[in-house]
Amino acid sequence: MNSIIVFALINMFGVLGTFLLTALTGHLSFGQASFMSIGAYVSGLLALKWGLPFPISLLGGLIAAAMSALLIGLPTLKLHKYFFALITFGFGTAVAALLNHFTNITGGAMGLSNIPCKTNFLLVVISIIITIGLIRNFVKSNYGRMCIALRNDEIASEAIGINVYKTKLLVFVLSAIITSYGGVLYGSFVTYVEPGMFGWTKSTEWVIYVFVGGVNSLTGAVVAGFILNILPELLRFVSNWRIFIYSLFILIIFNFRPEGLFGEYEISFSMFNNVYKNLFSKLNHRN
Amino acid sequence: MLKIENLTKHFGGIKAVQNFDMQVSEQEIVGIIGPNGAGKSTILNLISGVTKTDTGHVYFENKEITRLNQYQISRMGLARTFQNIRLFKGLSCIENIKVARDCRISYNLIEALLSFPKALKTEKNMEKESLKFLKLVGLEKHNDIKPGNLPYGLQRKLEIARALFTQPKILLLDEPAAGLNTAEVIDLVRLINQIFHEFKISIVLIEHKMEVINELCDVVYVLNFGNTIAKGTYNEIQSNKDVLEAYLGGGDNA
Repeated sequence: MNSIIVFALINMFGVLGTFLLTALTGHLSFGQASFMSIGAYVSGLLALKWGLPFPISLLGGLIAAAMSALLIGLPTLKLHKYFFALITFGFGTAVAALLNHFTNITGGAMGLSNIPCKTNFLLVVISIIITIGLIRNFVKSNYGRMCIALRNDEIASEAIGINVYKTKLLVFVLSAIITSYGGVLYGSFVTYVEPGMFGWTKSTEWVIYVFVGGVNSLTGAVVAGFILNILPELLRFVSNWRIFIYSLFILIIFNFRPEGLFGEYEISFSMFNNVYKNLFSKLNHRN
Repeated sequence: MLKIENLTKHFGGIKAVQNFDMQVSEQEIVGIIGPNGAGKSTILNLISGVTKTDTGHVYFENKEITRLNQYQISRMGLARTFQNIRLFKGLSCIENIKVARDCRISYNLIEALLSFPKALKTEKNMEKESLKFLKLVGLEKHNDIKPGNLPYGLQRKLEIARALFTQPKILLLDEPAAGLNTAEVIDLVRLINQIFHEFKISIVLIEHKMEVINELCDVVYVLNFGNTIAKGTYNEIQSNKDVLEAYLGGGDNA
């Protein structure tokens, strides 16, 4: 059970990366999972081949992902977002193919094994909480506002001085970094990665999670990401029916709540405060 | 302040704008009028960089801005509104205003991510400032709702407030009175006058409603089929033969 939760949380980094990109710029990435494999492979290789300590190999993985996001973002983010979705799809497939091809470096289809185990449950939980906090700050900051503006109307955003291209690039690189961080954690938790793990189906799953939770709600992305990640595991007892139930659940939500489970709703700390105060005053009254 | 020379734009075979010249001095309101399809909005799009011109030059404060990107032109101090209102429907009214200054803000990405005191302080100041602008256009009661729920006239005003919040030196308004009723038009004229005097900026105004042009503009340019057919004060162009012909049709067949 413990490892199911860890896997769900590691996947959450992918969901969060996808959320950042899709909620803020309206772009869909069908190659987001390849950033996770880049993070896992690069950090794993740095640790294995050169014996670098974990923080440095971690940093290497993040930088590699940021660089590859720049590489595909630079030429494609000036185009319409549909082309961006196609290119990221191609990129994801290309990364998997490259990992398979360079057998002498990456281990090919056999995968990369014996990555030093540096991750535990606590690190994953702390990381995810910090990441959610950072994303929340980003969404609430001026960057978040600018992103929603450019998602709504690029011409009007440019007219008030927003550099649309640069802002989109920034968000895409950030989303790649967050996703690859999950990859680094994955590699050093499982100590093994293979190319097939982060195919385009994984990327698509994340996009679905984000839409199920509500594309305008960070809370939605987190909750939906977590539930949908562990749902197939929880449904194991109905074996053959689990994919059916899982798909049905998603279809029902898309049909009856197209804005997602949470719409634009966000849980905030002040809300907890209010609940707490209400409870407190009620208790006092009773006494 | 704003100088336009020989601006020409063709869309396929359509000559949208031909050899357009215009000058706007400091603290002046210039009007552009003309029948539908005369090329008025195209001129505004060319100045603000939405479309790129075929030939000709645009100078803003003695610097050429013809080939600059839209956001660069905006950052130099040229703001605009759109004929078909372009508000950000995902942001609330007050956020629609705030966002106009977001790219000029002093805190950086790291400070934003970690929510530093500096970022929070800037946000607080922005809140105060943007409320002032909401009040200016009479929207202070609606700060938290989405602009899609506002009546048309208020949406126009919100768009003007957003453009103003970029702290422009010149403001381009594309048919601000379109779709407004008589009372709203009077209100709008009062607002534009107030903005003009309070912020001491220049305004370029495209309009169909002659009473707005009459009330506000120092100089009026009249366009027809992409050509400038007259220029002068409102009284001058009123009696201009070409203008009457463009609006009322030629007298030959009558």
